[in-house]
Amino acid sequence: MKKIRILLADDHTLIRGGLRLTIEQHSDLVVVGEAEDGRRAVALAASLKPDVAVLDIGMPNLNGIEAAKQITQADSAPAVVVLSMHRDETYILRALKAGVRGYLLKDSAESDLVRAIRSVAEGKSFFSPAVSKVLLEDYMRKLQRTGAEDSYDLLTPREREILQMVAEGKSNKEVAAVLNLSVYTVETHRSNIMEKLKLKSLPELILYAVRKGIIA
Amino acid sequence: MTLTPEAAPKLPRENRPGLPRLRAVLALGYGGLLALLIGSGMYALQTLRSLHISEEQSRNRSLERRRVLTTVVLSASVYANNVERILLSETPLEDITSGAEVLKRGQEALSAVKAYPTDGSPQEQSLVEHLQGYLLEEQDIVRSANTRTPKEFRDRAQQILSEQIIPRRQQFVTIAQQIELLNDNETIAAEQAAFSEFGRLQDRLTRLLVITLASGLLLAIGSALYILRLERQERLRYAELARNREELQELSARLLDAQETERRSLSRELHDEVGQALGLLLMDVGRLSNQIPGNAAGQEVVQRIKAVAERVVQTVRNMALLLRPSMLDDLGLVSALEWYAREVSRRGDVEVEVKAENVSETLPDSLTVCVYRVVQEAVNNAQRHALAKNVTVELRETSTAVQVQIKDEGRGFDARRTRGMGLLGMEERVKRLGGTIAIESQPGAGTSIHAELPLPPTKAGHVA
Repeated sequence: MKKIRILLADDHTLIRGGLRLTIEQHSDLVVVGEAEDGRRAVALAASLKPDVAVLDIGMPNLNGIEAAKQITQADSAPAVVVLSMHRDETYILRALKAGVRGYLLKDSAESDLVRAIRSVAEGKSFFSPAVSKVLLEDYMRKLQRTGAEDSYDLLTPREREILQMVAEGKSNKEVAAVLNLSVYTVETHRSNIMEKLKLKSLPELILYAVRKGIIA
Repeated sequence: MTLTPEAAPKLPRENRPGLPRLRAVLALGYGGLLALLIGSGMYALQTLRSLHISEEQSRNRSLERRRVLTTVVLSASVYANNVERILLSETPLEDITSGAEVLKRGQEALSAVKAYPTDGSPQEQSLVEHLQGYLLEEQDIVRSANTRTPKEFRDRAQQILSEQIIPRRQQFVTIAQQIELLNDNETIAAEQAAFSEFGRLQDRLTRLLVITLASGLLLAIGSALYILRLERQERLRYAELARNREELQELSARLLDAQETERRSLSRELHDEVGQALGLLLMDVGRLSNQIPGNAAGQEVVQRIKAVAERVVQTVRNMALLLRPSMLDDLGLVSALEWYAREVSRRGDVEVEVKAENVSETLPDSLTVCVYRVVQEAVNNAQRHALAKNVTVELRETSTAVQVQIKDEGRGFDARRTRGMGLLGMEERVKRLGGTIAIESQPGAGTSIHAELPLPPTKAGHVA
């Protein structure tokens, strides 16, 4: 079986060691490189071509988000998981916009890291459960304050289905294949969803899905 | 930071005792000038009045003399006419009643002469006595003529008249004229005296005027000098004050800077060292938990350790964020403010909303920190003091400045009187970057804080 090749980037040697230990307890995972800052991580991602890059957000010389942005721009780029201390949607949205697929809180790194790595390696998204909880709370409070209704109720069952698949990282073509629809129809559904939920981009859509607990 | 005061140019010491002395001299001078003016004015008035009085006296005296003299001459001529008539008449004197009449006229003339003022010069007095003498002599002559027989009388009458009466009468008139002349001369002399007295007064007044003018000029120069010195002192004092204020501002700016730097390093320390160590601890606890799957008691202990560690992680993280929101570094101003707004909303009873219009993510660090701290302070106040339910933060970037407005509908306060440390700190931060801040609030009417911070020139040009 092909092992998942992993690049670890964290400015703290101890943490890197701990993460490595956790990862290498699993035989299908292998750490191929370690970087101590963002710039090195970008360089190693280009030269080692790992399957997954695990980046700490708070790193000197190019932080994790900026590094992720550069790493994901390359051809056959690795899937990126960021390690963060922040549960706030600003960070999550920023990470999503940088092309990050997995958002892992450091508190739960030990228990969730392996799951996150496997998820993003399969092309799925992964968010720490605590993140979804906080996002949902913020969302509900905002709804309450502004008196707005939860726009999720406006979606048709088909639209909800498509929302989930898109948020999970599937392309329009893949969605069309699964649902046996034309790509054009999926595109129409997708723009309807965006309009109903007042979303502007794919990262916002993913954030919304995480917030609603549609994906995790 | 050097706290040793620079060798500041002090106020010229010698000026300090000089000023009061000059002031005393000036006061004395002004008092003297005033006394001089009053004195000379009073002197002039008095002199003029006495001149006027003596002139009037002299005129009255002259008029009185003239009047009396006229009476004398008139009564003497009436008397003379009577005498002449008697002497030239045919009837003897005792037969006619007019004898008594003549004598009465003589008495009248005599009393007229006696009425002449006796306060004149000795010369005048002797002349008047002469007049009197003539009248008395004439009386004697008339009386003696009366004692003779009518024949004798008639024979002698012509002789008496031509030899004794007429020359005397001529002399009488001459003396009267002399008296009048004397009188006139005296009047003229008095007038001349008054005139020369007036001339003297004029001289004295002219001298006084010159003295007054000169001393006035001196005083004016002295006053100008005094004012100049005062001005110079005032300028120096003002400069010193301005320098003190600048120094104070510089100091508080440095304090703010130092505080910010200190907070940042503390925050980094907490985040990097304590936070990472705790993270590692948590990871190890997780690993330990995996290694003792069957041990229920062990698992319980592990879970407890994990809970405590997580709580500590949270506390340390909050502390670090409070000290220095790493969002500012990671995400830029707007996102950091949005994060802060959510954080506050999540914790408390207040909902904070951030509205931002085209604010770039690459604002200078000093500016973002300033805006962030101002918002933090304002939201804090709204929450703690104003008990506001909603706070709106609006952020706008123009070509030259960043504007931020924080509004709440809380209790408000009297913005003209209340100036807590928080508000002062805000003002200090904003002023330091050359910005302006306006705090509007009224009890019961909410609070609105508006700050405008200029962008550095290069940045402004770049954005425009």
